[in-house]
Amino acid sequence: MSRRGDWVYENNGGTCVAIAGADYCVVAADTRLSVGYSILTRDHSKICDLADKCVLASSGFQGDIKALHKNLAARELLYQHQHNKRMSCPAMAQLLSNTLYYKRFFPYYAFNVLGGLDSEGKGCVFTYDAVGSYERTGYSAQGTGSTLIMPVLDNQLKSPSPLLLPARDAVTPLSESEAVDLVKDVFASATERDIYTGDKLEIVVINKAGTTREYIELRKD
Amino acid sequence: MVGKNCFAIASDRRLGVQLQTIATDFQRVFKIHDKLYIGLSGLATDAQTLYQRLVFRHKLYQLREERDMKPETFASLVSAMLYERRFGPYFCQPVIAGLGENDEPFICTMDCIGAKELAKDFVVSGTSSESLYGACESMYKPNMEPEELFETVSQALMASVDRDCLAGWGGHVFIVTPTEVQERVVKGRMD
Repeated sequence: MSRRGDWVYENNGGTCVAIAGADYCVVAADTRLSVGYSILTRDHSKICDLADKCVLASSGFQGDIKALHKNLAARELLYQHQHNKRMSCPAMAQLLSNTLYYKRFFPYYAFNVLGGLDSEGKGCVFTYDAVGSYERTGYSAQGTGSTLIMPVLDNQLKSPSPLLLPARDAVTPLSESEAVDLVKDVFASATERDIYTGDKLEIVVINKAGTTREYIELRKD
Repeated sequence: MVGKNCFAIASDRRLGVQLQTIATDFQRVFKIHDKLYIGLSGLATDAQTLYQRLVFRHKLYQLREERDMKPETFASLVSAMLYERRFGPYFCQPVIAGLGENDEPFICTMDCIGAKELAKDFVVSGTSSESLYGACESMYKPNMEPEELFETVSQALMASVDRDCLAGWGGHVFIVTPTEVQERVVKGRMD
């Protein structure tokens, strides 16, 4: 809530999490849309299915996020027409990074987590800052609840150090249901302490068979 | 953090000035008496001064009343002392933990001008407070025995300070039961 006449952004809150597994990827986000201390709606999805094996979850300013998702979906459709196949997750990751950096001096106020399966069928998660700096990791959280959730994911999904040789996989050895349970637990904890996170949790699981969606109730206060 | 007839109080060990680390064994958790501890995060000089003033007041109390202060009373004392400096505050956020009547665990936290906040499960303060809220909320269970409580507190502390550049260099954990106090130094990422 800014009093300056030229402040064009606002933060609509929310938290997004993604976890990569050996042959699956879990992407989750809460569904609360807020502005200031008010709730605008309890039923707003922050997740966009960009390609059949690629899902984007974004928190931040929903105006910019809607525009970003529309932009990426259009680019993916163009790619499909030109190359006769859908975009792979690593390709979409690079496209998202470039799209964000394109607006380096008037950024998209969007904190993104891209999740999906790479061309070998292994889970991948890409985490971004607002201007497109990205990294492939085993898990990530972005949004207002990210500082509450990241330490718990670190503790449960500890990645091997990137300094080790030979290079080890960052994906977690947990099974799909264990990863989904972990996501439900961390969101329950984040909902308790973060006012912008709550209402409902949307969980998308991507694996060889396709994409499934699940909705879990969270605290509404 | 509260356990079954016991409590744990822990801190990291780094003392720094913005990016520079000055000390890696700095003590932030202080004993007032056998069953009462206070942790002070924030400006180090204010933490030390406040601790010295509180020990002074407690010793006077011991002389007059011929007994130790109850944790609830001590919390009110700290709150009053902080509010005395309402317009030129001590830059500290205290975390108070003690065993009260019938060895019932008591914990509370305050902001830097003395607004008390009681809790039944855990309290946190410092630069990593948001991370600590998340980690403690996920890992806390009611009625933990001292051994399990130590594990939980250490894991939550280490996980949270590892995500904060201004905190770390190991942890100092005190587990206080009605009969004994265990003080342990936890080794963590030294960066």
